[in-house]
Amino acid sequence: MSSERTLTVARAGREAVMWEMQNDPSVFMLGEDVFAFGGVFGTADGLGEMFGPDRILDTPISETGFIGLATGAAMAGMRPIVELAFVDFIGVCYNAIVNLAAKHYYLSNGQVKVPMVLMLGSGGGYNNGAQHSQSLLASLAHMPGSVVVTPSNAYDAKGLMHSAIRSDDFVIYSGQKKVAGVGMLGTPIKTSMSVVPDEPYTIPFGVANIVQEGTDLTMVGVSWTVHQCIEAAERLQSEHNVSVEIIDPRTVVPLDRDAIFDSVKKTGKLLVADEDYQSFGFTGEVIASVVERDPSVLSCAPVRVANPDLNIPYSRPMELRVLPTADRIVEESKKMLGL
Amino acid sequence: MVEVIIPNDMWEEDLEGVIVTWIYKTGATVSEGDVLCEVMVEKSQSDLLAPATGILTIIEDAEAIVKRGQVIARIE
Amino acid sequence: MKPTAAQRKAMYSDIVRSREFDDRVLELYFADKMPVFDLAKGVIPGEIHSSHGQEPCAAGTMPHLTLEDTITSNHRPHHHAICRGLDLNKLAAELMGKKTGYCAGKGGHMHIYSVEHKFSCSGIIAEGMGPAAGVALANKMREQDGIAVSYMGEAAANQGAFHEVMNMAGVYTLPYICIIEDNNWGVSVSKKASTAIERNSERAASYGVYGEYVENNDCDLIFEAMSRCVDRARSGQGASILEIQTYRLKGHMHGDQMAYVPEEEVAAMKDCVIEYRNKLISEGVLTEKEAEEIVSQQKSEVDAAIQFGLDSPYPDPEDAFQNTYAGVSK
Repeated sequence: MSSERTLTVARAGREAVMWEMQNDPSVFMLGEDVFAFGGVFGTADGLGEMFGPDRILDTPISETGFIGLATGAAMAGMRPIVELAFVDFIGVCYNAIVNLAAKHYYLSNGQVKVPMVLMLGSGGGYNNGAQHSQSLLASLAHMPGSVVVTPSNAYDAKGLMHSAIRSDDFVIYSGQKKVAGVGMLGTPIKTSMSVVPDEPYTIPFGVANIVQEGTDLTMVGVSWTVHQCIEAAERLQSEHNVSVEIIDPRTVVPLDRDAIFDSVKKTGKLLVADEDYQSFGFTGEVIASVVERDPSVLSCAPVRVANPDLNIPYSRPMELRVLPTADRIVEESKKMLGL
Repeated sequence: MVEVIIPNDMWEEDLEGVIVTWIYKTGATVSEGDVLCEVMVEKSQSDLLAPATGILTIIEDAEAIVKRGQVIARIE
Repeated sequence: MKPTAAQRKAMYSDIVRSREFDDRVLELYFADKMPVFDLAKGVIPGEIHSSHGQEPCAAGTMPHLTLEDTITSNHRPHHHAICRGLDLNKLAAELMGKKTGYCAGKGGHMHIYSVEHKFSCSGIIAEGMGPAAGVALANKMREQDGIAVSYMGEAAANQGAFHEVMNMAGVYTLPYICIIEDNNWGVSVSKKASTAIERNSERAASYGVYGEYVENNDCDLIFEAMSRCVDRARSGQGASILEIQTYRLKGHMHGDQMAYVPEEEVAAMKDCVIEYRNKLISEGVLTEKEAEEIVSQQKSEVDAAIQFGLDSPYPDPEDAFQNTYAGVSK
């Protein structure tokens, strides 16, 4: 019996896919470069060899086509996992996502289920330019009919992947590329790695994780920004003795609004960090879910740290300026706290 | 005692690689065939499997630069 | 394979049934929207795309399909639904947004689903193709019987999804048939103005699939062509494109005056209900009396269905919050 293992997000998620494929013949994967290449970001690494080309199905570069096919296969009782390396590509398949996968269950009044997982790679921070660095979280979360999962660490990545595959709903599994911990994007973010049990387990949708408890300020992050919050909180603690509570919703749809509200009720201050474009996005939604319930729990105006509504510039100093980094979070927190 | 060595066939040319992450810590019990660590060279990543069952002692930590044939851990 | 006399009578009966339904829908549609026309008003609100003239495309192809097979329809679904055997009552009720409809009012005219008939619709042009091909893929992977068929108009062949899905259907050798109802018009743009080739069935060559074109909206020829496509799909020879020349007698949607269609083209449009009836009578397959009996039988069933819809209650507004997510059943 081996000791406990510390895994990357990518390996943990893949382990869940592997287990489900071994135990349920209706689960299969399809997408671009999944069979021989193992997915552009390693999401299917080793699966091709293990399950063969019929269950790890390479597709042409035809996103609206293969997401449409996956929807049909799911309607027929299969459990397809679709790999889309970059969320930026949803422009060429948004119809299949919004008008097919996300609508059939409701429009059919529950007759037709679409048990399908759409894996997406999101986020920037590695100078890949404006069309390969976006988060687009709000564009996914805004439409009804899908679950949107955003794991920030390996433990959650595995449990949420088991839940996603077993769900009878259309689940968008949004993986931040730098959080995944795959080679070619440097070494993994330390706080994204976690001890992961060998056996399968599920994590319910809509239940936030309190990453750390605190009393002075609530930070809500999503995927990569959870780690920026952790880093910022460490600095605020050591340099200014500020106690930060960090909430990771783990799934943005459904969103655990209760956990966020309860935390803000305790700390009185709310900062939300998100990599997506700020306006009409996740940050505003989180703030609204507190303010709508009881604005008096806030002792000062809430703060958003997100992409300042700019297309993502390529050059390193400019990209770092628009990303919601720990530096920006520390700076904004200090303003809130009068430091 | 068995040495954990970066195999000579892990990559072709005489490049340097890096240990991306250790899945087990020093002192962990590992079984032969377990994935011990991920090693990256240029853009590709490989798993290094435990050559034996026993207690692991890590010599080269994560993020260390390594060469083919280098001893990076021991299993006793 | 040629249709038998019994099959031809059944096809005629299906055409009549679909037409009677659409006629009654048309009547009701305008009855309470005049003189101020408002899409939101009346017992059948919204847009209605009727199947007037295109019935043979469904009547001639459906006899080859079993309940193991899957169908995806488009924004003009009445003839497909009716020839597939969907319940007229539930269909009428869904058009009226009633609780007793197929989707309890959540779907409407362009979104009719019946699991037992493996029937669904999509109002987005050509986007029913992907799900149909996906069912074909699933059946092939599971080594299950059952092919999949999608129905759409000729203008849909200019959608990106058409190219993507047909290519995959060719690459994966899917038991899938793409039926194209060539009514010559994509809303107000003619086929000639939108499509560089005369026949979309010729595009089959570029996907390595079988293609066939049927002229003259002829139910018997459609039946025969479909039998070739279905045989190929069932015997592992892969996908087909079956394009059928048909007529859109009532415009793109109810209220469309078709001012953009040349007068001579309108004059040349043939009504399949009359054409097929005359053909069957002249060939001795059907007597005048039998034809009249079929019409009166279908008329009374359609009337009953419309009445069922009218008598049915609307859903509770709060029903909008039901069946939002499926959860986990595993």
